[in-house]
Order: sequence, then structure tokens, then C-alpha cells
Amino acid sequence: MNLIRYGEKFFDEIEIAIYRKRNVGVDVELNQVALSSLSERTVSVIRGMKDKRIGIYVVDSDDEGEIRKGIEIAAKNAKNNERDERWQGLPGEQKYEDVSIDLDYSIKSLSPDFFVELANEAMREINKRDKNAMVAGGASGFQWFENRIMNSHGIDVLQEFGGTFFYLFVVGRKGNVVTPGIVDFEVRRDSKITKDAVVNSILEKLQYAYNVKGANKTEGNILIEPLALAELLYFTLLPAVNGERKVKNTTPLANRVGERIFSEKITIYDDPWHPMSTNPVIADDEGVAARRNVIFDKGVFKGFLWNSYWGNISGEGSTGNGIRSLSTGGIGIGAHNLVIEKGNKRKEDIIGEIEEGFLISAFQGAHSSNPDTGDFSVVANPAFKIENGEIVGSTVFMMSGNVYELLKNVEEISDTEKKIVMMGNGVFPDILFRDVKIAPVSK
Amino acid sequence: MDVEDVIKWAEKNIEAEYIEIRGEEISKMNIELKDGIFPTFTSLKLSGFGVRVLAKGAWGFSSTNRFEKLKESIENAYKMAKAASYGRYEEVELADIKIVEDEVRSKMKIKPTQVDVDEKVERMKDLEKKLKEAKEVASTQIRYEDASGKKILYTSEGTRIVWDMDYVWQYIWLTGKNEKGFASARDEIGSVDVGWELFQEEDVDTIANRMMKKLRAQLNGVQPKRGEYPIVAGPIMVGIIAHEALGHLAEADLTINSPFRDLIGKKIAPEFVSMSDRIVENGFGNNVYDDEGTKVRDVHIIKNGILTEIMLNREYAAKFGMEPNGHARAENYMVPPIIRMRNTVFEKGDYSFEELLEGIKFGYYVVDFRGGQAELNSSFQVGVQEGYIIRNGEIAESIRDTSISGIAIEALKHISAVGKDFGLEMGRCGKGQTAFVSSGGPHMRFDKGIVVGGQQ
Repeated sequence: MNLIRYGEKFFDEIEIAIYRKRNVGVDVELNQVALSSLSERTVSVIRGMKDKRIGIYVVDSDDEGEIRKGIEIAAKNAKNNERDERWQGLPGEQKYEDVSIDLDYSIKSLSPDFFVELANEAMREINKRDKNAMVAGGASGFQWFENRIMNSHGIDVLQEFGGTFFYLFVVGRKGNVVTPGIVDFEVRRDSKITKDAVVNSILEKLQYAYNVKGANKTEGNILIEPLALAELLYFTLLPAVNGERKVKNTTPLANRVGERIFSEKITIYDDPWHPMSTNPVIADDEGVAARRNVIFDKGVFKGFLWNSYWGNISGEGSTGNGIRSLSTGGIGIGAHNLVIEKGNKRKEDIIGEIEEGFLISAFQGAHSSNPDTGDFSVVANPAFKIENGEIVGSTVFMMSGNVYELLKNVEEISDTEKKIVMMGNGVFPDILFRDVKIAPVSK
Repeated sequence: MDVEDVIKWAEKNIEAEYIEIRGEEISKMNIELKDGIFPTFTSLKLSGFGVRVLAKGAWGFSSTNRFEKLKESIENAYKMAKAASYGRYEEVELADIKIVEDEVRSKMKIKPTQVDVDEKVERMKDLEKKLKEAKEVASTQIRYEDASGKKILYTSEGTRIVWDMDYVWQYIWLTGKNEKGFASARDEIGSVDVGWELFQEEDVDTIANRMMKKLRAQLNGVQPKRGEYPIVAGPIMVGIIAHEALGHLAEADLTINSPFRDLIGKKIAPEFVSMSDRIVENGFGNNVYDDEGTKVRDVHIIKNGILTEIMLNREYAAKFGMEPNGHARAENYMVPPIIRMRNTVFEKGDYSFEELLEGIKFGYYVVDFRGGQAELNSSFQVGVQEGYIIRNGEIAESIRDTSISGIAIEALKHISAVGKDFGLEMGRCGKGQTAFVSSGGPHMRFDKGIVVGGQQ
């Protein structure tokens, strides 16, 4: 039985989305494997529209009977809802970009033994090279997704993709000093995940972290690493390029398309097909063709991200950025893989030229930033003090400011980039900002 | 075949030290009202099983949302445990608990399923209308969610617990605009013990007035001066400091890597300071048993200034040589239980609010928060969404877009007075998984140890 056809008995338009996820993972804790897991989840979402009233049902199943029942419940919800006069319809048939995406299907058959061994080797090496280090947490594993989006206007798109991941969270304890947790990670679209880069980076930072220094300054040049940069931008900048906010006039970027907003060194785009992306979708969660959307080009604001609802209202159309929440079944607006274009200077050289400044690996409290204004007040931790071109110790300080001011003050961008999957998918370089105001927390 | 038959089958056929099946079947209603439109009007049915197996001294976990695959899931969890055992140098041991067979019934007077959808919708519309009466409000987002269903825990040790799983929850995000620019405010309420009757106490006017106070404080606020100043924190801020700065360090899986590890039994705060994770009236983290079947009991984290107890699951209780105290919680069947807080509160003292302000020439009064985060070196950060300057012992102008930070074990030493009032805040904590929690306490004064972030 064609479920879409069945749904059309109840709705003017209907969309059925089925998400399947399989993951194998190994968690580590206290220098050993804590747990190994295999989880599978299938979720179906029915989103229908009757007389411009929306009704949604989400169920942990892809069973035909459950989906039929779900269609009927969604129809009742639509009946209870109110008319949305601005609704213009679900998207129609799409032409999807013929992109060549290398999928490594061998990921799906990786055994937990492979990830246990990866974690074991990493922990052995860390403990061998630093007797004061404790692997407090971490994980390795793979995730594989199969998503199918269908609607009554002819969309029927099935996509699958996945990736492997490995991260460790290490704490050092020497004398009275307990270091902050030092994190590093690797995420790949294939099965060639290794421990070396993660282990080396953590051990290097741990050595600096034992030497706690007071910040002793109220202003400085600050090099922000990819994870910290992503933490800040996902909570301050990404909401501002959401098209819904443009329509509602609640973003500082409303009516500023074409204006220079940031330093001309800053180019930001959403690119699901970037070589490092682990989210290489050809369609968004409404089935609209995904694409590479430039958001800032050399500091100039090029445009907002849209799903079909707000894109239709604005007249700009969807940019293929409809993202579904599986907690509500609703479609919001988001990035598939947010990229800040890398620069052309080695990170080591950037550090080498800093006479006095700081390196920030992560922020505490980026989620408490104000998405409406871009204001933030966060704690840099782990953070490191740089003197005469060398890292000399760790420190903790507060950094308060506004993302629109910060991104005007870009001094350098590194020629390396890192895949980020926390908060959202992205690829970020390191960026050096000049004359940033801070308040010391470490004494 | 039912879950009882499956666990009996597993006991016979799986060579494990311990097998645990957690099952859920929960129906939810999720409605979102954004600026006059309900873009999500959703029913959800969440059902499935999470299986944890302890074999060869290691944990394996598997989950499925199909009952017919439950046996396979147990076999998978066993295979996972065997794989994990190659990564361990010591075997996992579980502290003993009293094995119970029990049913935990909802205390709600009016379960959300007994309330007509139209009434839920009308209440949200009334609330939005009330909020939009204020000329500063540029955009409103109101999310309502309720849940009703059952949760079970069956273990190879004989634990059989069936819970009613009900809650109501509401989240509001308000964006405001005036001549100074944009500002925003959030508000969150919820309960697992109080049902629809929650919204009789938290009526439209109460919520709207509270929201507008926060929004106006932000809209009209001045940028604070960054630096270390005396702080008087209200119950909601005191609660989030209890939660972020201290509570996380007292979760045994984090304690073990934090400064708290070596401080148990030692004085870490003035003797008039006590802090607990305990059952409180209408606490969002209340329960009778945790997700390992351990009876939940009060944990006196700081008693008269001494770091006394930490929060434990069965594994960490064995590791620390202590008794489990009911803090193993899982967000849902898809994830294994981990150590979590429930309701983390500072206990009352005997100062009036006016006495707390006395003698402060310049400082800050922080009332409500927007997010917070802690680190293992006891550094904490809490975003401030409602705060004021204290000038010459009196509350003066409001401040905007700031946060406070400190090193918790240092800041604790500088608590100089504890108020005689008490307040509680409902929220969610993210530690890889989301958990409903409460936090609160009385007003408190920190003379030093807390840094205020600011663009001045």
C-alpha cells in the first residue's frame, strides 16, 4: 500500500520521512573501556496539511501499520490546529545535484573490537608518555544513517551516509594542580580513523596545562582553535542568518545583504559536500535539493538560509536548509556543514609571531550567549598563555564581547582546518583576533 | 512472550554477571506557538528497550525499538560486553542494593491526558496574547510538552519496577526590542509530580510578569564592568551555582577526576554553608528509584562546610566503597544510565535580603540565568539574564548580556552570608544526555571569588 496515497485521504498535502540510525560505540573512562554499545533506531515522521492546518506524528517505528495509525493521529492534530494563512505548500519535485560523494560502506561492518583496540592503544600510549594523565572520558565508533523523504508532490529521496569518530578527554593531576579536561578528536567519512593526531595533541597541551598562570592582562591577541570557534559561532552567528529571523526582523543582519559585516579575511559558507563533511546530503529534511550556500564572502553578507516555509513567505525560496527536529517532527532552518574558509599561514607560525597573547581550545558557556544580538560572555578554558611566540602555561579567563565586533578584528587565519561535529556539523580553521578584552579568572 | 519471559530466557542462556532491561512506552504531545502560528502540533510515540549486560567484568549496551528483537538485543549487549572486556584492567563491580518489586504511581492530580487539547492550545494563546501586550516584545516562542506512559526495569537480580512516566513542561523564548537594540529572555517550568494543575499556580499573568521583568532588565540594562566584585545571588542563581559549580564535581564519575576527590571529609566552605541533592517539593528531578532500581535518598554534599557525600551509581559506589544513593539516570531507553543530579540546593541560613546587601559599595545582584557550564578544574560559568548593580547597599540599574565565572573551590570560601528564604528553578541538564533537574536555595552573598564578564 502506498502510504502517501493513504495519507492523501486525510490531508491536502503529506510528507513522510523515515530516519534509520545504527551506531556502534566504545566509551572510555578512567583509563579503560567503560562500555561498548550497539544501538539501532528507526523513527518515522508524518507531517500533513489540511485546510492550511498542520498536524504531525512521530513514532519509533517504520512499520506500515504504525505509520497508517500515525497518519490518522496527525490528521486529528491538524484538525485541532489553527489555519496558517501563510502556508504555501510542501516542496515539489526537485533536481538533485549530481555530486560525487565517496561513501565508505565498510564503516558499517566495523566491529566493536576495532574501536576497543583503537581506544586501548591510545590509552596505553597516553599513560606511557605521561604518568600523571588520566583518560577521564572519550569514545570511538561509527554512525550510519539512512534517511528517506517522501511527499505527495512527488519527492521521494533516499540517502545514506556515515562516519567514524574518536575523541578523548584527558585530565592531568600533578601536585595540587588538576588541569582542565583536554579534549581532541577526529571525525572521518571513512574507516581510516587513527589515534596518533589525537594522542599527540592532547599530550602536548597537557604539558602546558600543568603550569597554571594568571592571565594578568585585560586585553590581548587571541588565537581561537576550531572547536572554540565553532562553540562561539553556532550560538551567536548561526541564528542570525536564519531566514525566519529576517522575516521577523529579529536579527542584526536584517536588510544588510550586500554589506561588509566582517573582516575581508572571513568567508563562510554552508557546504554539505566539503571533502571533510560527514553530512553529505543531496536533499534537506523536506527533500529540497541541498546546495553550497555562501553566507559571507570576504566579509560581505551574501544572504540568509531558508527552509521552504520561510523561503516561500520571503519570496526568496528555500536554500535547501530545512532541518528536522526528531523531538517535534517540525522543520527549522540550519546548516548542513558550516565552513569558515581556511587561510594560508601555518598555525605554528601564527603562534610564533605572538609576543604576548592567548590560545583558546574551548569555551565554557557559549550556549549562554545572546543569539539576538551576538553578545557573548564566556570563559576560556582550556586556554593557554603565549609569551614571545611560545606557549608557556595554561590559564582561565573570561572573554566578553560581540561576535560582529570580534569578526572585524581578524588578524590571521590558519591554513589547516578541523572537522567539528559538536553543536552542529562544520569545518573550521584557527583564527587570530587582535586586541580582545578579557577578565582573568585564574590567579 | 513478555519481558518477564525474555529476562528468564536471558538468565538461562546468557553467561552474564548481570542483565538489565529498561523498557518505555510513552506518548507525548508537543505544541509550539511562534508569533501566532503553531508550526509544530505533534503527537509522539516513543517505545523501545535498552539492555545492559555486565559480562566478563565489562559493560555492553544495546537498544532496539522492536520487542521482537529484544532477545537479539540482549545477545548484542553480551557481545559488546565481551568486546569491552578486552579494554579493561579491572572488572566492574556493582555495590549491592535492596532488590525490590514495586509500582511507582504518578502523584499528578490532573494528568495531561485528561486535559482537552483545545484547553492546552487556548492557554498558550492566552499567554502569547498577554506577552504581546508589551510594546517591547518583538517575537515570542512558546513550547509546551507533556508525556504520559510507562517505564519498566527488569533485572537478572530480580528487580521489577514499573513507573508511571508523566510530566508537563513549558519553555518560552522572548525577543524584545527598544531604542537600545535587541534583548532576549527565557523561562522554563515543568513538573513530574504536579500535572496540569501546575498552570493554575503558574498562571498566564504570573509567567508573563516574570518574563517581562527579565526582558526589561536586559533591554534597559547597562554593560557591567568586568572584574571581581561582591555578588549577591538570588535563589535561581544560587541554584545554578550549586548545580554547575559544585553539583557536577560531586557526581562520582566526575569527582574522581576533580579537586573534590581529595577533599571528601574536609572543610571546603564556612560552617554556615550546607548543600544537598535531595527530594524537594515539586522537584523536577524527584523519583522513588533510579534507573538501576536503587532507592533515591538525600545526599548531603556539603554539611556545615564539610564536603561529606557524593552522588553515586552502583558501579561508582563499589569503587568508592560507599552505598549507592539513587543517582543513575538515563534520558530514555536508547542510552545507558549515568550519574546525574536531581534537585541540587543550598540550604537556608538566617540573613534577610536587606542584611545581605548591607555594606556593599559596588557589586552585583544576579537573579536569573541563561545557561551554564562547569569544568573538571572547578572553573564554572553561568550566563546572567537578569541582574542589577548594587550601589551603596541598594539595588540600582539592571545589567545586560553578561555572565559570572569563578573557580568553585575558591569561590565557596568567600560565601559570607546565607539568606533565610528559599526558591527553586526547574530546568534541564545536558551531560551527553538530557535530564530534568531542579536547583535552588536561599539568597547568598559572595564577597570575592566570582568574576563578572563585561564589555566595559
